[in-house]
Amino acid sequence: MVRDAGPGVSPADLLRRGVAWLRQPLPAPPVALRRGPLRRGAFDSKLRSPRLTSLLGLALAGAFTVCFGTGLISHLIQHPPSWFWWPSRPVGLYRVTQGLHVATGLACVPLLGVKLWSVYPRLFAWPPARSLAHAIERASIAALVAAALFQLVSGIFNIARWYAPMPFFFTAGHYWSAWLAIGALIAHIGVKLPIVRQALTRPTPDRTAAGGLTRRGLLGTVGAAAGVITLATVGQTVAPLAPVSVLAPRRPGTGPQRLPVNKTAAGAGVREAIFDSAYRLSVVGPARTVSLSLNDLAGLAQHTVVLPISCVEGWSSTGTWTGVRLRDLVALTGVDPDNAEAYVESLQTSGRYRASTVAPPHTRDPFTLVALRLGGEPLHPDHGYPARLIAPNRPGVLQTKWVSRITARNAS
Amino acid sequence: MGLPDHRPERVVKIARRCLAALGALVMAYAMIGALADADVRPGALIFLIGVLVAHDGLLLPLSIAAGVLAGRLVPLRQRAVVKAALVVSLAVTIVAFPLVLGRGRAADNPSLLPLHYGRGLLEIYAIIWATAAVAGGVQALHRRRAGPPDPQSPPATP
Repeated sequence: MVRDAGPGVSPADLLRRGVAWLRQPLPAPPVALRRGPLRRGAFDSKLRSPRLTSLLGLALAGAFTVCFGTGLISHLIQHPPSWFWWPSRPVGLYRVTQGLHVATGLACVPLLGVKLWSVYPRLFAWPPARSLAHAIERASIAALVAAALFQLVSGIFNIARWYAPMPFFFTAGHYWSAWLAIGALIAHIGVKLPIVRQALTRPTPDRTAAGGLTRRGLLGTVGAAAGVITLATVGQTVAPLAPVSVLAPRRPGTGPQRLPVNKTAAGAGVREAIFDSAYRLSVVGPARTVSLSLNDLAGLAQHTVVLPISCVEGWSSTGTWTGVRLRDLVALTGVDPDNAEAYVESLQTSGRYRASTVAPPHTRDPFTLVALRLGGEPLHPDHGYPARLIAPNRPGVLQTKWVSRITARNAS
Repeated sequence: MGLPDHRPERVVKIARRCLAALGALVMAYAMIGALADADVRPGALIFLIGVLVAHDGLLLPLSIAAGVLAGRLVPLRQRAVVKAALVVSLAVTIVAFPLVLGRGRAADNPSLLPLHYGRGLLEIYAIIWATAAVAGGVQALHRRRAGPPDPQSPPATP
């Protein structure tokens, strides 16, 4: 029963009326309020133009798409829905996607800064809102700017491991803010499409104040700034550039056994448990459970692989790992290692990353080891002594250290 | 000769509406997802608003003021190069400052933030400003080769 809509009022009519209502001009605010930056001509740089903003916006849209895509991959690997599948090869793929994620995000700093400078006068547009539709559009731009700044600032704080200023769990905040940013970006492109089209197709003279930067000069400056930032940090994953990366939060070769550490044995609270002579690795299958001492593990067939640890924070470092293949351990329980997944648990009693599930492609892969040695030496306690998981093409947080229990299951 | 073809405009109009609608849907997904995620907490909203206010209300106006000041202090011919160097320096500083502050360091993990970032930042400043000086010098050389200055250009001193 429809009471409100009288006869002859179709949904299309309602929509049209709604849109017209949203577009109705709002009453003009008192002119006396138009002070400070709200005054006409408060911003005098001739460098600002739709063309400059469009070019910067285009570059920023591309960079944000790269960050969103690579970030989503990282999220899905760590929280895989049933439809998601991630291969175990190429071994360094995640190293590349996550390195790109962080490097692109850092390179966005000058890009976003200058882009926002180029549209700053619009923040003080008069009247602040011409209609409700205009107010909604401005609110969505505020969401875009806030979410974009949130992504860059929280990302920078995260790689510097400075969590005190972030009153939320970084990973969750960064993830949902990414959706907000990308949604607001898509809407923003929709709204601004005609301006961008016009700005990029019509020639715009490169006007500038005498002695000031030209548009080309400013774009070059943004590129130079992005280049300097990249060179100063990318050595955290591109090892040959480490000597010039004076702002890299990590050095690939710096740490115990020439490999950086995220969580130490002391930090994880396992220092006593790992040196306990009663240590046994339990390998649990549906049919039987095998209990292995460190000597038993060393007595099994040993294999050596060269694999990177690739951190979600964008750094990576290659190690030479020796140990037992996960698939051999899975086979000990009678489970077919070609069609199995393994749940690997640490001696850590709590913590978000105390356990990880190894998906079938990685369980099957002969490169996936329960490693006992790094660079020929027994694992350093901070690298997971007595045994740790190391698998190709996976984030470092999933390479469980101080392994105490492996549960093998047939993958359905 | 026919009527003007309005098809491209129609396509653009439809594309714009689709983009705006899709964007609104994704934003709604983000907000619902954040509300449903116990790890996000109200702190994320405070941070979201905080970075916006800090940037638009503090960092950007201060940067613009610094640019105006540079425009007053620096001779006309060097102004563009100096402003470019300021922009690059500011961008690098934003990336470097939490590292220089070093609050993320942990006593039991020397592999974390292993470098002297204050020194690194000073080295980068040195490279930026040395490059700017060279660029300014090269420009001056070109101007001298090109002959006397354009009489129409304003005087170099304020």
